[in-house]
Amino acid sequence: MENYLIAMGVSAGIYALMALGLNVIWGMAGLVNLGLVGFFAVGAYTSALLTTKLGLPILLGVVAGAGMGALVGVLVALITARLRGDYLAIVTLGFAEALRVIASNEVWLTNGTDGISGIPGPFRADLGPVGFNLFFLILVAALVTAVFFAFERLSYSPFGRVLRAIRDDDQVAAVAGKWVIAYKVQAFAIGCAALGLAGALYGHYTSYIAPEIFVPLLTLYIKLSLLAGGVGNNRGAVIGAVLVVAFLESTRFIIPLLPGLSAVQGAALREIIVSGALIVLLRFRTQGLVPEAHSHPLIPRQPGAAAKESPTHA
Amino acid sequence: MTGSTPLLPRRTALLAGMTALAAPAVSRAQGTSAGAPLRLGILTPLTGAGGFDGPRMLKAMQAVGEEINAAGGLLGRRIEFAVEDDQTNPEGAVRAARKLIDVDKVPVIMGTWASAVTAAVAPVCWESKTFLTTVSGADSITQLPHQGYLIRTQPNNHLQAGKHAEFIAGTGAKKVFVMSLQSPFAMPTQNRVREVLAQKGAQMTGALLYEKDKTSYRSEVDQALRTRPDLIYLNGYTPDVTILLRELYRAGFEGPRFAQSYSVTDKALESLPREVTEKVYTVQPSSDVDSPAFEAAKKRLGTGVDSYEAQATDWISLVALTIAKGREATGTALRENVRKIAQGEGTKVYTAVEGLRLLGEGKEINYEGASGPCDFTEIGDIVDCKFRYQIVENGAFRFLKVA
Repeated sequence: MENYLIAMGVSAGIYALMALGLNVIWGMAGLVNLGLVGFFAVGAYTSALLTTKLGLPILLGVVAGAGMGALVGVLVALITARLRGDYLAIVTLGFAEALRVIASNEVWLTNGTDGISGIPGPFRADLGPVGFNLFFLILVAALVTAVFFAFERLSYSPFGRVLRAIRDDDQVAAVAGKWVIAYKVQAFAIGCAALGLAGALYGHYTSYIAPEIFVPLLTLYIKLSLLAGGVGNNRGAVIGAVLVVAFLESTRFIIPLLPGLSAVQGAALREIIVSGALIVLLRFRTQGLVPEAHSHPLIPRQPGAAAKESPTHA
Repeated sequence: MTGSTPLLPRRTALLAGMTALAAPAVSRAQGTSAGAPLRLGILTPLTGAGGFDGPRMLKAMQAVGEEINAAGGLLGRRIEFAVEDDQTNPEGAVRAARKLIDVDKVPVIMGTWASAVTAAVAPVCWESKTFLTTVSGADSITQLPHQGYLIRTQPNNHLQAGKHAEFIAGTGAKKVFVMSLQSPFAMPTQNRVREVLAQKGAQMTGALLYEKDKTSYRSEVDQALRTRPDLIYLNGYTPDVTILLRELYRAGFEGPRFAQSYSVTDKALESLPREVTEKVYTVQPSSDVDSPAFEAAKKRLGTGVDSYEAQATDWISLVALTIAKGREATGTALRENVRKIAQGEGTKVYTAVEGLRLLGEGKEINYEGASGPCDFTEIGDIVDCKFRYQIVENGAFRFLKVA
């Protein structure tokens, strides 16, 4: 049981990293990115290929995975510079699917649909399965904490304020003299670096990646995480990710207790519950469980400052 | 330190939540003492692309489980299944496998379907010394460093292509051309066909790869005909094979063509003129339809039994017999003992119940399954499998043989 909880902790940590990345792009800058899983795949493939084919150290692979995620993020941001809202969502969704098709067909590089197996994990052989599991949980937890504090700092910096200004109205931000596209590109780069990092970690943890892992279902889980936790809020991103994994996993234990349900019906019910939860959240709690804070975490809001609620974006 | 007070109840809540999560598992996974049910893992696709085959495989396994329980169980214990959905998704499947291994403590996981799912779940299994049985067909699966913790009942690509080539040589064709759709199966198939044809005194005069979704394959057809083949092997899916058949006819090729059953369907026959499809051979892996094991599976399920249901029947039967043989329900014991009841000189048995009875009498057995003889190589591939051959005559299939 402990081993299982630890493994789910690792899953939650990887989801949390992705949710944090999405929060910069979507929560802070207001750019709808449905291609999350594409950047996740870029990080996973980069690190997996560098460590298996070139034999580079895992640390280097992971850093390169995050870097490549950022680079591709910049590229996509530049290509979609003029798109907003639904249009941006469609293009990013298409981008992730295109990447998946490339990964299935460029066999010389990615080994096609067979996927890449035997990706090394840090100290996997020395620690044994249980020890490795625990070590990886500590590693992922440390990384989530680091990224959380970095993004939290970012969020309350002048840079973060500009991103939020762009999210609320990019024309106003432009009139105020901000170079909107440059900010959007940077938001994409930073967010996608976190996504790439998550992907690289995923590959080294499970030791196997294949194009079929990078399907839109995972994007939806992360989106659900951020929606549940609270869009625009790093704490919400982490809490939401943990909640989604706990929710997905706890249904495994609860559904068999329901009388008169076959395994097939149970599996379908799990999917219904997930979709139902999303609908309920969107209807009744768009701001998520932890709404976006309106004042600085350390410096309280000045009395008399405009206390008007800003509209939430969901 | 004002933040620490509200943290405490939250931590308590988390602990309570975790305990609640664990409670049903604890109550169900009570030890391994005699009399307690023996829990086996099933991980099939119940949703996603495999959602058609998964539930039927599950049902086939449950049916055998019930039969064994009715006959007195296994090692004096009732068989109970822990069932999870692999979602036809490697990421979800790994989480599900973790639950089966770490919470349900199952010695075996039966049922992964998609090759990517199997490849993702396999490392989790062999690291945790859990046995895995699968239908995934990609050659790469059994080449993983699984240390024996994996068997598959589906013929791999190598075996399929070899059988195809034997059949082709048997038709009297001397010069064969292979046209393959670009896919993971394309190159391994061509290589194996070349090898076996050469052994059988025929020759592969050439081969090519083509892209899917083209509206015409005229240049590919010309390239094939230039080598003057007696027979052309079309290794693709329905859309492209349909076009190829038509263009081969137009180009005046009158020799036989050979294709997988899934690419030449009833629909395809309807859409093409009779002259175009005349003398097309089709092949598919077949259950051992004449075997008593297949007959028993049919009776048990009360319906027609397809290849996947037959294979699922064989997994649970093999697993039950192996556990009875080794008198131990662990993944490692399964790995060590599965070949002692699946192959060898023992009395042939066709169902789990029959085998359990003979094992109880201290006899050696050799399980012959519904899907085939179920003899395994070192790396967990089946040694042999039957194939079903048909030929198209006058726009309709005529059954040739299962061999």
